[in-house]
Amino acid sequence: MRQVLLAVAFAVVSSPACAASVDAGRYQSVLGDCEGCHGKNLAGGVELMTPFGKLVAPNITSDKQTGIGNYTAENFRRAMKDGVGPGGKRLYPAMPYPAYAKMSDADIADLWAYFKTVKPVRHAVDVNQLRFPFNLRFMMRGWNMLFFRPALYAADKAKSAAWNRGAYIATGPAHCGTCHTPKGFFGADKGLALSGASLQGWFAPDLTGDPTTGLGGWSAAEVAEYLKTGRNAHSIASGPMGEVIEHSTSRMNGADLRSLAVYLKDLPASPGNGGGASGVEAQMKSGAGIYRMNCAACHSLDGRGDNILFPPLAGNALVRQTSAETLARVVLAGSKAVATRETPTGPGMPSFAWKLNDAQVANLLTYIRNHWGNRAPAVSADAVKKIRTSLRSASH
Amino acid sequence: MSEQRALSRRRLLASVAALPILAATADGRSISGHLPWSPFAGEPPKPVSPLGWYFFNPGEVAAIEAIVNRLIPADELSPGGKDCGCAVYIDRQLAGPFGQGARLYNKPPFSPGLPTQGYQGDLSPAGRYRLGLRALNDYTHTSYKRGFAQLTPAQQDTVLAGMDGGTVALTLKPGFSTKEFFEMVLQNTMEGFFADPLYGGNRNMASWKMIGFPGARYDYRDHIDKHNVRYPRPPVSIYSAEG
Ligand code: HEC
Ligand code: HEC
Ligand code: HEC
Repeated sequence: MRQVLLAVAFAVVSSPACAASVDAGRYQSVLGDCEGCHGKNLAGGVELMTPFGKLVAPNITSDKQTGIGNYTAENFRRAMKDGVGPGGKRLYPAMPYPAYAKMSDADIADLWAYFKTVKPVRHAVDVNQLRFPFNLRFMMRGWNMLFFRPALYAADKAKSAAWNRGAYIATGPAHCGTCHTPKGFFGADKGLALSGASLQGWFAPDLTGDPTTGLGGWSAAEVAEYLKTGRNAHSIASGPMGEVIEHSTSRMNGADLRSLAVYLKDLPASPGNGGGASGVEAQMKSGAGIYRMNCAACHSLDGRGDNILFPPLAGNALVRQTSAETLARVVLAGSKAVATRETPTGPGMPSFAWKLNDAQVANLLTYIRNHWGNRAPAVSADAVKKIRTSLRSASH
Repeated sequence: MSEQRALSRRRLLASVAALPILAATADGRSISGHLPWSPFAGEPPKPVSPLGWYFFNPGEVAAIEAIVNRLIPADELSPGGKDCGCAVYIDRQLAGPFGQGARLYNKPPFSPGLPTQGYQGDLSPAGRYRLGLRALNDYTHTSYKRGFAQLTPAQQDTVLAGMDGGTVALTLKPGFSTKEFFEMVLQNTMEGFFADPLYGGNRNMASWKMIGFPGARYDYRDHIDKHNVRYPRPPVSIYSAEG
């Protein structure tokens, strides 16, 4: 709040006429989570791992040498909506312009008014660290021809204003599908929107109405609570979603969060996870012993966790995703929940990589995915081994 | 005497005064907002290998195994100290930082302490074992014409009881009495018997089974209301994956 007030004061001094749109533009940057990738002071440097190599988000402060201080309004609009930088430079879609293309020109104009006021920071960034041939920018021209269908958000007249506002935010500025929608081989959206997708070592879960893997079991108020505070009775956010919540959704206003919830709660159900594991009695028996020994103290024997600190595993959709990537990661590497103003503790989950081998982790996960009424496919030791190897190499 | 005390107190004050200066140059970090966190964090203790000897030579192995077997004899309650790995436990401890006295201040001047203050001399724990076991064998060679390990169990008990009770005097060093040596070995043997198996002793968690201790568990909420009912689960080690 204090920041907002300061920005308003600053805007009034520098150009009184624009005060309103600078303020609105700052809020657009919250919706769009610019800080999440471009850094807290927007001077860049945050590394983004993609299946094709590493991209580093550039400096987008108003610095003339290393930032976007020389941009015109039109340069900015085209970068945001067409993925084309000054001089025709093709941007990689790690910058979520395929989603930002849905944003209205008025919202982009507000955003630009705000960016003109961002304090310049001199910081040169080596953006393109992709592997050959993905490091060749002109390749993006082909990608755009194949996959990029820029279109403004089109309201669905049959739905409520809140639903449309939620859909606009989710598919436009907040680009939820960038993580939650399955991707094809070339990194373009493919399959049912928001039905869950693998990131680099995390699984962004199904957000559709499916009761086992999706948000079917959450009320709209619980969805909004999760996005605002990072936790609710079902789950606690960490990893990439923790960052989204920290920089973006926890700072959205109540009406927008409620709209997002209305939209998400209305998504048609995905096919779910294909049912539970069968013929895994041995895995389940071993998993039960491993759970009692290592997990029960926090998540409790009945899987209900502890409301304030430890998320429940019983009835937790995260535990029942088709992919167990997040689960293996959390158990192996440990994890830390996001800390927000409302829930400042950010409780941590310890790493078990030192103690549990691949088969033990597989048995444990198969157990938590198929006990207390949970149903989800079994997990193999091989799958855990792959995840362990890639986590290890990413953490060095 | 009183002058010496005043001197050492003044020295102490001087070193305390030096502390804040040192502290001011040490690395400092202020944390705000989030607590620091990193993946794969954890410094688990390393389980010792059960094979071979890291500190004791063969003669010492024979003596220490004989001692731990008399301190904890095999009976209907538990296997003997040797089979429980007590000698292995002591060996690994003496080969590591404990044996070097790594956490003890061990610079002169050495002055005699009170009985409650423990050993005050310059020998490390490893040095005391080396000296003590040599002196023990010298003693039994003089008195029984053979090494401690070759004595009958009854003779061994007589020697150990004498060391404890003051009737057996080994040739050690000033400031390191036979009783102190005995108490040190007894203490370390008990540690080996009751410590987590990862340190080399307490094999098969024999001592924990003996006394009904469930081990490194930390959640008894499902049992806490069952009064006068024995906890049904077997003991677990820090390294047990399943329980
Ligand atoms: C998911 C990560 C991500 C988010 C969120 C994101 N960006 Fe970017 N952005 C990037 C990356 C990566 C690039 C570099 C792309 C390239 O050079 O091909 C980039 C490039 C840009 C550029 C072009 C800079 C230049 O080199 O000319 C602008 C302008 C920009 N972003 C603005 C924004 C704004 C405004 C927001 C918030 C509404 C935002 N970005 C949110 C990742 C992101
Ligand atoms: C950078 C990738 C990313 C983006 C962008 C993202 N999410 Fe997530 N989301 C995740 C991941 C990963 C998880 C799993 C979190 C965890 O394991 O704690 C998640 C979890 C969730 C959950 C909890 C689901 C459950 O069953 O526990 C909800 C709800 C959610 N996201 C909604 C959203 C919405 C709404 C948006 C857009 C405003 C969004 N996410 C944007 C990656 C992302
Ligand atoms: C010391 C307490 C503690 C122990 C022990 C513990 N956890 Fe956790 N766990 C947590 C906390 C706190 C979180 C929330 C933090 C987060 O999501 O990053 C969590 C999160 C999780 C999650 C993600 C759930 C969600 O909704 O975000 C899973 C899955 C999980 N733990 C499984 C396990 C398993 C399996 C074990 C046993 C190997 C275990 N935990 C042991 C404290 C613990």
